[in-house]
Amino acid sequence: MSDSDTELTREEIKKTVVDSISAIKDGPRSMRMYMEMCAKCGTCASVCPVYYGKSEKRFNPAERTDIIRRIYNKYNTTSGKLFGKLAGAEDFDPDDLEDWQKIWYECTGCRRCATFCPFGIDHSVITRKGRAILDKLGMTPDTMAKVVAISLETGNTDGAGESAFRAAIDFLEEEMEEEHGTPIKIPIDKVGAKYFYVPPSGDVLVNPEATMGVAKVFHVLGMADDWTMSSKCFDGANYGLFTGNDGDMKTDNKLYVDTAKELECDVMLMGECGHAYRIMKMMMEKSGWWGDLPFKVENCMPWTADRIKEGLIEFDKSKNPQPVTYHDPCNFGRSCNIVDEPRAILEASCQDFREMYPNRGENWCCGGGGGLSAMDDIIEFRMEVSGKKKMDQIRDTGAVYVATACSNCKRQLTQLMEHHEEQIEVGGVHDMLSRSILINGKAADRVDYTA
Amino acid sequence: MDILRFFIGGVLPYVAVLVFVVAMVWRVRSWMKLPAPAMTLFPAPSPEGKANAINTAKEAVFFRSLYKGDKPLWVFAWGFHVVLALIFLGHLRVVSNIDQVFMTLGMTEAGIQGMSSGAGGAAGILILVTAVILLVRRLLLPRVREITSVGDILALSLIGAIVITGNMMRFAPEHFDLALTREYFANLATFGGVADAAALQNGVFLTHMCLALLLLMYIPFSKILHFGGIFFTHQLIRKQ
Ligand code: HEM
Ligand code: SF4
Ligand code: SF4
Repeated sequence: MSDSDTELTREEIKKTVVDSISAIKDGPRSMRMYMEMCAKCGTCASVCPVYYGKSEKRFNPAERTDIIRRIYNKYNTTSGKLFGKLAGAEDFDPDDLEDWQKIWYECTGCRRCATFCPFGIDHSVITRKGRAILDKLGMTPDTMAKVVAISLETGNTDGAGESAFRAAIDFLEEEMEEEHGTPIKIPIDKVGAKYFYVPPSGDVLVNPEATMGVAKVFHVLGMADDWTMSSKCFDGANYGLFTGNDGDMKTDNKLYVDTAKELECDVMLMGECGHAYRIMKMMMEKSGWWGDLPFKVENCMPWTADRIKEGLIEFDKSKNPQPVTYHDPCNFGRSCNIVDEPRAILEASCQDFREMYPNRGENWCCGGGGGLSAMDDIIEFRMEVSGKKKMDQIRDTGAVYVATACSNCKRQLTQLMEHHEEQIEVGGVHDMLSRSILINGKAADRVDYTA
Repeated sequence: MDILRFFIGGVLPYVAVLVFVVAMVWRVRSWMKLPAPAMTLFPAPSPEGKANAINTAKEAVFFRSLYKGDKPLWVFAWGFHVVLALIFLGHLRVVSNIDQVFMTLGMTEAGIQGMSSGAGGAAGILILVTAVILLVRRLLLPRVREITSVGDILALSLIGAIVITGNMMRFAPEHFDLALTREYFANLATFGGVADAAALQNGVFLTHMCLALLLLMYIPFSKILHFGGIFFTHQLIRKQ
């Protein structure tokens, strides 16, 4: 996570790298099998956003994975030991590490390759392995290491304290009162509330509309007292997933789980953040990191979409007349199967919703996945290489607003629009809901937050 | 020469089958022992085992993901494998007297012969064509060429060489007498001694056998391991 105190010798470095690659022999099963059975057919390259952006050997997913495979073969297969290069085996050279710091952050971990590989080989697993090795050596790129350090220290990636959070919530409550002429509450630290809402990174401080949207939904349903936010845990982001450090990932996660227990909630309601929800739902809850839980993990999009289906929420669509499209965050689409619900919300709240193709489980990554979005030192790569396909796709829809349910996607897409000089607004799903939901029969007199 | 002939015809078959079986069993067992945490990839089949098994079968039989990902490759890759499977079945005629079964099903001898030279001959040409296309594709398309290594060329070339020697026998002026091979394989299977089997006098047959046995031994140690692995990897990734 942080720079190690003592310099490692070349031998120590080599041993660390080789040992952690040889450990693949003992699983997990997926990683071991990926070492043994790629047909080198090139399909992953044709579906990878990075290779689409720049078709070079360096960006070929099968080649990147082969970096680890070659070292694995060198030390763990008989043929590799006997025949070396002929059997796809090569020794590790510590001089390569400098390039490793770049190359393992040139895959967005979007898992599109796994969708189309005839064997379901998921290169993101190997990418995360490469990053984990870097992390062990204290060589995680600085921009990333900083986010993790701040997160572990303050519980959020902005490094904000409780007072900043409370001030932001006060501001949101004032805004909502102004919009609707009636007080709309955002409860904080309310023990015993049924729902504990965990917003994505920056949604309280930077993109406040989604939080307002959620607050308005609870208000309309007459459930203003049934939910709460936490003054300690207001950022679901967890960069341990991205640096490959399981320890960091679990430490960061535990604070949120403990807080949910303290709040005695029945449901931990995750916000519009793909990787945060994926960690809570598909990893923490499913694998039982912390044993039996007194609460369930849900996401706010299915929750709201269900209430819309029940006819409990009404909209004035004329508030959102512009063409709107939806970008499926990889972590919601491919990794969590939340695809129809955001569409249901957008269709209910916007006049002109249009699909982007391909979509859902086959959607192209925004180019900022796997934490890349937070790395401004590689912005050129994100704008010109990994994000190229997304830019083309968005242009094709003719939309002027791209809704997406992930703070990393939002940051990447906003920068893409600036970089490519497009007048296309980027925002959340509940943002559009907030602009057109009827409260006491009337939608908001919208205040323009983007100005 | 006789020693070589005896080695290829009388020893290598046992060695190759043993290597293949032991290595495959060892591989599969070592995979089974490893922890396999859930790694869902959507759209996924429902978590029950049956849906998952059907999904895996679809992948193995139709190469469904590849179909969605790269249609031209799918045409050649799927064609290549289907013909490979048919040829494998066709070899039942070479090693056993399966003709009897066909005849009880009502086929005439001429009919069987016609099916064999028609379908079999077409398959022999088709597999050669698809293998060559796969090889050319590998050398021409940058995204495939840049990840190609010796092993990839070797796998295709070996199959190509086996197909060519097979076709040499099939399309030779006088068709190979299957009675000889049946006798030979029957003796092999019953450990009856094959040192002076007539079939082994044919140099092309001997070469064909030798290459096929090398391929058999190569499978567990090469990328062709995918033939067992595919049943596991798709379970892994699509499993809820
Ligand atoms: C259940 C059985 C099998 C399945 C599902 C399967 C599937 C596949 C798939 C999806 C590919 C990638 C596409 C391609 O590169 O052509 C492939 C490649 C390949 N397979 Fe199989 N396979 C099976 C059995 C076999 C067997 C038994 C052999 C050989 C004895 C074999 C030989 C090859 C070769 C040589 C390639 C590489 C082709 C190339 O380099 O382009 N496969 N297989
Ligand atoms: S698609 Fe799968 S088998 Fe083909 S090169 Fe990529 S990882 Fe290997
Ligand atoms: S995870 Fe995404 S970016 Fe990484 S290799 Fe696969 S398709 Fe490319």
